[in-house]
Amino acid sequence: MLFFLISCFSFIFVVKSLLPIKLTKMRLLSPFFWVELSKSLVCYIRKRGLVFGVFEATYLSPVRKIHTVEFVRVEDEGISVLDLPDLALDMILDRLSPADLCSLAGVCRELRGKCRSNHMWEKHMKSKWGRVIGNAALVKWHEHMALNKRRFSLGGSNNGGIIWNIFSLWPFSSLIRPKLIGRSELKGSLPPDSIMGWYLSLESGKFWFPAQVYNRENGHDGFVLSCYDAELSYNSKSDTFQARYTLHGRKTVEENISWSRIRAPPVDNPAYELHVSDCLDDLKPGDHLEIQWRRNREYPYGWWYGVVGHLDSCTRNEYHCICHDSDTVTLEFNQYAPDSRWRRMNVNRKNHREEGNEGDGFYGGIRKIYSEEEITIWKSLWPTKVLN
Amino acid sequence: MASTSTSTLSRKLILKSSDGEKFEVDENVAMQSQTIKHMIEDLDDINSPIPVSIVTGTILSKVIEYCKKHATEDSDSDEQLKQWDKEYANNMDLNTLYYLLLAANYMEIKGLLELITQCVADMIKGKSPEEIRAHFNIKNDFTPQEEANIRNENPWAFEN
Repeated sequence: MLFFLISCFSFIFVVKSLLPIKLTKMRLLSPFFWVELSKSLVCYIRKRGLVFGVFEATYLSPVRKIHTVEFVRVEDEGISVLDLPDLALDMILDRLSPADLCSLAGVCRELRGKCRSNHMWEKHMKSKWGRVIGNAALVKWHEHMALNKRRFSLGGSNNGGIIWNIFSLWPFSSLIRPKLIGRSELKGSLPPDSIMGWYLSLESGKFWFPAQVYNRENGHDGFVLSCYDAELSYNSKSDTFQARYTLHGRKTVEENISWSRIRAPPVDNPAYELHVSDCLDDLKPGDHLEIQWRRNREYPYGWWYGVVGHLDSCTRNEYHCICHDSDTVTLEFNQYAPDSRWRRMNVNRKNHREEGNEGDGFYGGIRKIYSEEEITIWKSLWPTKVLN
Repeated sequence: MASTSTSTLSRKLILKSSDGEKFEVDENVAMQSQTIKHMIEDLDDINSPIPVSIVTGTILSKVIEYCKKHATEDSDSDEQLKQWDKEYANNMDLNTLYYLLLAANYMEIKGLLELITQCVADMIKGKSPEEIRAHFNIKNDFTPQEEANIRNENPWAFEN
């Protein structure tokens, strides 16, 4: 009956512990209907065990908003951070680092629920991992989650499922949920779709994610101005990555890779598959590009940086350039010496496919670089000496 | 519109706290609060006291101190104002901070809300769960077994 009355007036009464605020004036029997819970303000009124949480409410009236509920502090026994309105508490949590959120999650059940919620972690996920996590990593994580989900549901840690369903029908379920999550989660690990779980898996280095590494095997002349697929694991102590490259079933490992040498793959293209070039008609001298290249057909492709040059037959005059009308496109790799065999190559605009030989390796698909940011990164990796 | 804003500067408002204390403030000071701004729009008689329902006199006087400072921010540089904010918040005990936070939330004073939430967040930073419990007087409601599990959860993360 009590609940019935409460819900009629769109009030929230939460059974909770004590708060030194007491409702003094409340015109429940107003001639108007309560229509809006305008602010998730103030919250819980505690009265020795039995608690009424009341929110400031407004109702429609001829003079728009009228504030009808008043609170007065009756005793000054102090309030807790847990008594703060959700908005205010969220604002505090929003200012905490991942490490602090983890600490706070170990304080009590209520904070545990809040500090582990996805919306607290989305921002951290994006700002720390957004640049290096691409589709391939997402797909791998989803597969990993799906596996965990099966374990999660078999593990019996989804008790509370029925309660959840009941509360999802309750109009203010979102206000009550966090507590339930907090309680049910304690028995198991983080739920499979938890962003905090993903963040921590990346942070701990437990989760190896697919991404690409610039200038693989740092300092090795053979990989300057290239970007290769790798499986990466983060080391939070050194704030660097460890990479595993696969070649012929053999694994090469590289350590201490800085953030600046890692990127999310710009196109979803497995390392052993030819990229379908969709920019060939668009290529003109001065454009920046990446082209797939591999030593032989058993090797994975890497992406190599180059620019579009002028044809030998072109005057290179801005107004009389004929290059765009030709079916042949000249690619230049100016990091190599003018007489290097890697310096220039031609591709056919109309029917470019993988071309090359065992001696020079094989050139694959081309992707034109439109983003200034990407161009800047490539230029920052420019070698100090000319390559041969 | 122009005539409204000139008269706005000179008008005085009376704010009434939950415990009946009255404060006379310049309208531009009171207008730092979005809630009061909206209430004024609904008021027929500007001279009648405006009830600030959930805020006590003690807290309201502190809120007004903040609003006064920020209503006349032209006189101070950003740096000076930041320093003032810092000292203002540092002089509050935890309980006062909470009530200020409730007041800032209710009165919709964005700057004050940000200042206090940052201040509370700074108190959490770098502390262990035990230290946080002690500082904020929060009861540990985990069972010993649960606590042991929590401790073992992420021992690898954030060690540095």
